Amino acid sequence: MADLSVDTLLERLPKKDRHALARLLSFAAQGEHLPEILRALPPPAKPCRVVAFTGSGGVGKSSLVGRLIPVIRKAGSTVAVLACDPQSSVSGGALLGDRFRMGSAIDDGVFIRSLAAPGGHGAVAEHVDVMVRLLETFGFDVVLLETVGAGQGDVAVRDLADAVVLLLQPEAGDDIQWDKAGILELADVVVVHKADLPTAEQTAAQVRSALDLSMRTHTTPVLRVSSARSQGHAELWQTLAALPLRRVEAPPAAALLRWTQAWLTRRAATAEWQALAATWRALPEAELRRRLLALLGAGHE
Amino acid sequence: MSQSPPRVVLAKVGLDGHDRGIKVVARALRDAGLHVIYAGLWQTPEAVVRVVADEDAGWLGLSLLSGAHMTLVPRVLDLLRDAGLGHVGVLVGGIIPEDDIPPLMTLGVARVFGPGTSLDDIVAFVKEPREAAHG
Repeated sequence: MADLSVDTLLERLPKKDRHALARLLSFAAQGEHLPEILRALPPPAKPCRVVAFTGSGGVGKSSLVGRLIPVIRKAGSTVAVLACDPQSSVSGGALLGDRFRMGSAIDDGVFIRSLAAPGGHGAVAEHVDVMVRLLETFGFDVVLLETVGAGQGDVAVRDLADAVVLLLQPEAGDDIQWDKAGILELADVVVVHKADLPTAEQTAAQVRSALDLSMRTHTTPVLRVSSARSQGHAELWQTLAALPLRRVEAPPAAALLRWTQAWLTRRAATAEWQALAATWRALPEAELRRRLLALLGAGHE
Repeated sequence: MSQSPPRVVLAKVGLDGHDRGIKVVARALRDAGLHVIYAGLWQTPEAVVRVVADEDAGWLGLSLLSGAHMTLVPRVLDLLRDAGLGHVGVLVGGIIPEDDIPPLMTLGVARVFGPGTSLDDIVAFVKEPREAAHG
């Protein structure tokens, strides 16, 4: 298949060209062609619902998402999944093993992309916001975003999604560590996963008590779900589907701003910038201005 | 082509349920800096190709121990070509008789790694720059 230009790929995207979607998602994931994509991306025909799933490693995010997919399909919606796993800061490699738990039936209404999230960048891979917009323009009704699972609430995830689901698992003792970290506030829905375990009811009660302590969280639903027993997923989806679409309709400018910030950071690392930064105090105003404009490539005095 | 790490899908096609070998390879590739998408066991050729397409992977590693390689591998290769994914490098690993290696290579497999292949060999092969790039 010949290499297609970004503009051609973007033209094909709303026509449900899966190959175009795959290529564009890769560009976004790698931070390539972002200005062109953001400039030319057609607006979506309809908004999609983005739900993020967060929680410590091992709590079962992939299994839960895997069980949710058929529920969403049965409800008549198409669904895309962005599944993030940590990237090794040593080798740069990553073992992207989330989709393994999500079933392998071939269904055009389902799309799964595995992503590596660099360390220290928060809970998701870079440019997830652009990828969500690509999936939305393609026409997916729902985007499920699975975070790396650092266990700490990530405020940025809240901006990316219409709803954040926090997964907890039944604890042996009554040490509510997650409450201390303040991550309950970020959740729109709390799921006590592995609800087949004996302490699930107790954990759910503890979460309920913790949520009831604050005006901000006392209406947050707590649901018990067992992926091992395929129980609770339909109720979870019902709850999520009833929530308002609150995702900040970030205009293309917001993503462009982020790209610009990254570009500026890279620029500032060059030798010319370093030289200017070391000597600017000794420069006359006009000379400083001239050199700055030259570095920025503004092309005018 | 960007400097992003290569994306490789690892899958076991057919009725084979042994996964220790493929998991060892997965970790070695990850430690070598690749992004490894583990597609899992008991995959159909159609499902594997769908994963390669949606994940926009440059490599596919097929592990087969069941002896069905001469039917399953050609099927995967055909499906890849039909999907416009002929540029994807296909590696086959597992119990493959020596005599079957040349026909597999003729069909388009990039390399066959029999049992006892060193992990370094696999990593080195995947990290070599290839002309058949896209992007």
